[in-house]
Amino acid sequence: MLSVSLTKRLPDFTLDVTWDAADVVTGLFGPSGSGKTLTLDCLAGLARPDAGRIVLRDRVLFDAAAGIDVPSRDRRLGYVFQGYALFPHLTASDNVAYGLRGLPRDERHRRVADVIGRLGLSGLEQRYPAQLSGGERQRVALGRALAPEPALLLLDEPFSALDLPLRRMLRDDLARVLREWRTAAVMVTHDFAEAYRLADRIVVYEAGRVVQAAPRAELLWQPASEAVARIMGIPNILHGTVIKATPDRIQFRWRDQLLEAVNSPTRSYLPPPGAPIAFFIRPEYVRLIRKDRGPADPGHHMNLMTGVVVADEDFGTTWLLRIRLDASGPPAQGDHDLQVEVPHLVYEILEIERDRRWEFSIHRGSIHVLPA
Amino acid sequence: MDLFPLRLSLEVSLAATALTLGLGVPVAWALGRRAFPGHDLLAALVVTPLVLPPTVLGYYLLVLVGARGPVGRVLDAVGIEVAFTWKGAVLAACVGSIPLLIRAAQAGFEAVDPRLEAAARTLGRSEWSVFWSVTLPLAWRAVLAGAVLAFCRAFGDFGITLMVAGSIPGRTQTLPLAIYDHVQANQMPEANTLALLAAGLVVVLLLGLGRVVRLRY
Repeated sequence: MLSVSLTKRLPDFTLDVTWDAADVVTGLFGPSGSGKTLTLDCLAGLARPDAGRIVLRDRVLFDAAAGIDVPSRDRRLGYVFQGYALFPHLTASDNVAYGLRGLPRDERHRRVADVIGRLGLSGLEQRYPAQLSGGERQRVALGRALAPEPALLLLDEPFSALDLPLRRMLRDDLARVLREWRTAAVMVTHDFAEAYRLADRIVVYEAGRVVQAAPRAELLWQPASEAVARIMGIPNILHGTVIKATPDRIQFRWRDQLLEAVNSPTRSYLPPPGAPIAFFIRPEYVRLIRKDRGPADPGHHMNLMTGVVVADEDFGTTWLLRIRLDASGPPAQGDHDLQVEVPHLVYEILEIERDRRWEFSIHRGSIHVLPA
Repeated sequence: MDLFPLRLSLEVSLAATALTLGLGVPVAWALGRRAFPGHDLLAALVVTPLVLPPTVLGYYLLVLVGARGPVGRVLDAVGIEVAFTWKGAVLAACVGSIPLLIRAAQAGFEAVDPRLEAAARTLGRSEWSVFWSVTLPLAWRAVLAGAVLAFCRAFGDFGITLMVAGSIPGRTQTLPLAIYDHVQANQMPEANTLALLAAGLVVVLLLGLGRVVRLRY
């Protein structure tokens, strides 16, 4: 539906990306300065790529080779800018009506009233942007972009102007609006949780290039590389040495432990024995072995290891434990080897505050190998 | 006493301000919003009337639009006479005051967030429409401030007007020139009255401007 391929050279930065989007909402995710907003500007015709092609539903918006560059005003894209860029001299309803100038007066009024109603802005029509709250401004910006019924909605960091509790609420709000309007959207964010919550497909940017493009669940569980995992902010990214790899399993050595992980048959990643291997372990998937139920059963508990809690942090509903394993050599992550997350209740029942020495097990499905 | 100089000055400076707005706003917009070859040269050129001695400026204008000047001959061919007419006074006032308008308006246009204009473009508006619906409404206070300053400068012009339009009583003698003549002729009460009128008008205008620019959109 949307196919993007573009190159743009700036004095100290080069954007060179190619991706497609067939889904309703596509998330462009990556650190600040990785070229996400520049991509949106190229899509909207506000920046001109040096080379490439942009096609939206059989409509060629840009084609450097064919000399096609449809001006912004004819692209029919709704752009919700970072910080919203509402017209400060126009009321909320005049902002919404701004893109409807070509319509007859009655039709325009009807459309504005409809958008205002659907976005829950009734009663605020005559307010100026300066008199609106952050959330109301976001909805006016959405209304302004959606009113002309654009072929594609572009959202640049839609929540960056808001504080945290409001962000969560509006994230659900926006998800609902996107579903209701059934408008295809491309959303830029540097927050993985936001991208995951709103986008069907996520394109990961780093330094002007695409490092992975995948459905959100696949990205969450199978980042394509260590670089992608780091951009996503995944904890416990570790390095071991391969012992044996088959299409189903990968065995490797890490910190004196022999670990076994599930390999992905579809990915066919088969590093040779002795090769370095990167993997990650989600902190909430490490199991503590209860001491009141007898010794651990190696047949049942996979990837057993023992260690000491060297530090812990209270995150309100969960505790984050920093574990140092019983192994020779320096720990893998500064003063600890592994971060483990346990619910508050578990922390209290097991009396972890007092009892610092534990045995752990990690299911082989919870160790995720990162292809080199 | 003869208030013709006051009337002429008001008419000339109003006409000059209209001309200044018409010529200066597009130049200010181009300087504030566009990148083009010769941008810096143009930016320097538009302030020269502020720094050149008025008589030098007036001399060059006269050379240009005088009966034998290159522009003057073209205008003469279509039946327009500029030198030593009220039109010459308007031209003189306009050239002397246009830098003030351009500087103020350019700063105003530069202060408009380019993302707002970008938003307007994505919403289907042409460049012309973007200017009238976003850029100008957000910069109008700066443009107005520049126009009022330009009007005051035009109203008070002496040197350029004297060179281009002369000081013909009842025809091109504007208020500042009339004051000078009265002083030369030792007619102090007349000079006094005109000077008070001029000073009062300018003070009232600037006070009014101060109020207006503090208004919201």
